[in-house]
Amino acid sequence: MKITCHNGFAAAAFIAALSACAGEDMRSGAAAPEETQAEDTSAPGQQPATAPNPLRNVYFGDLHLHTRNSYDAYLFNVRATPDDAYIYAKGGTIKHAAGFDLSLDAGPLDFLAVTDHAEYLGVLQAIDTPGTEYSRAPYAEDLFSEDRGKIIAAFGHFVDSLLSGEIMPELSDMTATRSAWQDTVDSAERHNEPGVFTTFIGYEFTSLPEFRNLHRNVIFEGGDAPAAPFSALDSQNPEDLWRWLDQRRADGVEALAIPHNSNASDGTMFERTKWDGEPIDRAYAELRMRNEPLVEIIQTKGQSETMPLLSPNDEFAGFEVMDLYVGVNKEVTTFAGGYVRDALKRGLEIESEIGANPYKVGVVAGSDGHNAASPYEEDNYFANHGMLDWKPEFRGSVPPADYESWGAYYADGRAAPRTMGSGGLTGVWAKENTRTSIYAALRRKETFGTSGPRIRVRLFAGYDLNGVDLATDEGVRTAYEKGVPMGGNLIGKTGEAPQFIVIAMRDVHSAPLQRIQIVKGWTDEAGKSFEKIFDVACADGGAVDPETQLCPDNGATVDLQTCAFSQDKGDAEIKGAWTDPEFDPAQSAFYYARVLENPTCRWSTWDAIRAKVEPNPKLSQKIQERAYTSPIWFTPANAR
Amino acid sequence: MRAKFLYLSRIAREPLAQFMIAGAVLFLANSLINGSDEPSPAYAITISEGRVQQLAESYRLLSGRFPSEAELQALVDDFIQEEIAYREAVAMGLDADDTIVRRRMRQKLDFLIEDTAAGEEPTEEELKAWFEDHADLYRLPPRMSFRHVLASGDARSENAEQDATAFLTALQSGVEPERLGDASMLPEALPLTTQTGVAALFGEKFAANVFQGENEGWFGPVTSPFGAHAVLILSREAASPP
Repeated sequence: MKITCHNGFAAAAFIAALSACAGEDMRSGAAAPEETQAEDTSAPGQQPATAPNPLRNVYFGDLHLHTRNSYDAYLFNVRATPDDAYIYAKGGTIKHAAGFDLSLDAGPLDFLAVTDHAEYLGVLQAIDTPGTEYSRAPYAEDLFSEDRGKIIAAFGHFVDSLLSGEIMPELSDMTATRSAWQDTVDSAERHNEPGVFTTFIGYEFTSLPEFRNLHRNVIFEGGDAPAAPFSALDSQNPEDLWRWLDQRRADGVEALAIPHNSNASDGTMFERTKWDGEPIDRAYAELRMRNEPLVEIIQTKGQSETMPLLSPNDEFAGFEVMDLYVGVNKEVTTFAGGYVRDALKRGLEIESEIGANPYKVGVVAGSDGHNAASPYEEDNYFANHGMLDWKPEFRGSVPPADYESWGAYYADGRAAPRTMGSGGLTGVWAKENTRTSIYAALRRKETFGTSGPRIRVRLFAGYDLNGVDLATDEGVRTAYEKGVPMGGNLIGKTGEAPQFIVIAMRDVHSAPLQRIQIVKGWTDEAGKSFEKIFDVACADGGAVDPETQLCPDNGATVDLQTCAFSQDKGDAEIKGAWTDPEFDPAQSAFYYARVLENPTCRWSTWDAIRAKVEPNPKLSQKIQERAYTSPIWFTPANAR
Repeated sequence: MRAKFLYLSRIAREPLAQFMIAGAVLFLANSLINGSDEPSPAYAITISEGRVQQLAESYRLLSGRFPSEAELQALVDDFIQEEIAYREAVAMGLDADDTIVRRRMRQKLDFLIEDTAAGEEPTEEELKAWFEDHADLYRLPPRMSFRHVLASGDARSENAEQDATAFLTALQSGVEPERLGDASMLPEALPLTTQTGVAALFGEKFAANVFQGENEGWFGPVTSPFGAHAVLILSREAASPP
């Protein structure tokens, strides 16, 4: 067979029909959609629009979720889109990357923010699209190969890039990112239904210098968003993110940032110094508080409220403690500066030194689900990382295939699994379910976070709250008139001690409530901080012991063979009124409520029972789900 | 004439002529069956100026600058290699049964269909027909609005149902609901809400009870994880098309 090659420099007389057949898709850079239609959007259980409630309604939502637009989710084979995320949140059914159905058992959420990683947003999909420039990246083939080793090696490029904060030159074309960002914005607009379901445009700023987790989620108030998100490839320094947020605000685009996984920051999320090492000053405190009024206290990668080393007297502190770095198998060794309660205390200390508090943060929660969906329930758990953990054998609850038992597994010197849990939820008190109303609640910190169940809790502090019953409308009205809700500030009143009233209601799909506690933190005259926990209301008619400040054990149990829990223990609602027995009018303090359920089975136990194996001895078998409110800060009268 | 014929027939009997005729026939047959020896257009690879420009542009996007002469020549050569390999592979049938190729072909067809379809608006009749065929997808679920009076399980334990029955009697004889029952974070009344919405708050059992049956006036006791309730349906909305 003879072939004649016409050298291109001598222009050919005709354009060969070959050029069309060589597969050159000129949509270079644009993400080629694989699914073009959202699935059925008529989801059941939507609450109808109602008039604004001046006494405020509770709304539950997730402010931290990933779809295929995130570089890591795409590699976990997740192909679900932001549209799918909203369908799931509204009560519909979508597919997991492994092919099975996902849906919420307990009814739809009220709001959702899709927060894909801004770094390489949409890029993995572009790499996976033949004919694009991205697909010519040298490791493109390895990323999607069958060989796990190759995938890991190729993925390492992304990890290195995020570690260093340097964008990879071969992926520096921002076309795919801008396109995916526009897709995110459009999807949020499409699914926003004022009065019924609220969507927030958002993304994740994935800063991890030396693998220390300094991630933040950015949440936009309205439908206006900048052309591209400010990512950790622009700067790893959160102060630069805050300055960018200030500029956007000046342009008329309102947004805030919410840090998460301080538990994996190795003490660097809430430091006493700025990025440049100088001590925190007033300007820093104001910059931070203007842009970061909240913190995500619990999510799938553990909780960041506190841990036993920081709070040795807190019998419930050893809860979902994940003390490893994210992205590398390294242990956290510095806990102070990595937990919210400690940060709240630090904030008071710094305030006593410089007159400004950089850590006056309210509390929310989220999932960090990477499936465009997250489980929030222990008995309906499907993990959060696509193909990495869709099977119990992959997530430490059932021994992997080549081991007969956990005994054999550990005898072989294998490591214990990382503690991972279900998604958490944010609760807000707002007049109506709209972006403006819910965002305003975020801004004033009238928020709480839960470990997954939809526990509802109200907390107020004030003077003259005697006999106020938060179970009644008049009680709530009086509380708002005479006191401040969670997230609020109370100024000292000479000769009077503040009163606290609190009420909580269970989630019918989870367990009855066991107790409500108030966590107090304060500084003394020397500016040193302390903490103490007080049980303030107990289920089953229990009374708080004035010596120990604890509720009696209500004897609630859970059967670890069947997961049946006590039906006759615990209350559907608990309420209490409390004054601080150690109140000192000269001391700055914060108070937040922590509500605990009776014990139930943890997801890992459910997995083990269903697989008919022994549960992993290195994982907790029980869990006491909980809610944490934003604090109320007390400032002494005549304080500076 | 006869002389010509004789002449021809004498030639036809000549062995050399017979061989020449046979050869010509074979040659013709060969050329018909196997094609000529000259390269037919199917074996020509043409690199057009447009193609060269496209290769250069791709290079620029990747590396930030245009290729040098040597680099461009290398790109063109590489493209030719690719084209040869592609044609050989197709000729060998390597594109058949390849999942990636099939997926990609399907994707391209989907794009074509989308592009064409995007230009065509469905007619009213088509929309109506689709809607009728898929009425289930668009049907709004039934909704109820109701108020309730709670006998709290926390406060009353086993007496909750009995106490709820007592409330019921009082309500049915005209006592105002505001004066009865236990205060709770649960709303005293719900606006029109689907069964799932009611279940999210009160549990599945309560929701099922409220949604079934044709209860008029106060009825109960209906139990829930909160205790026992007397319930009054305020309004109903049947499953309806939008």
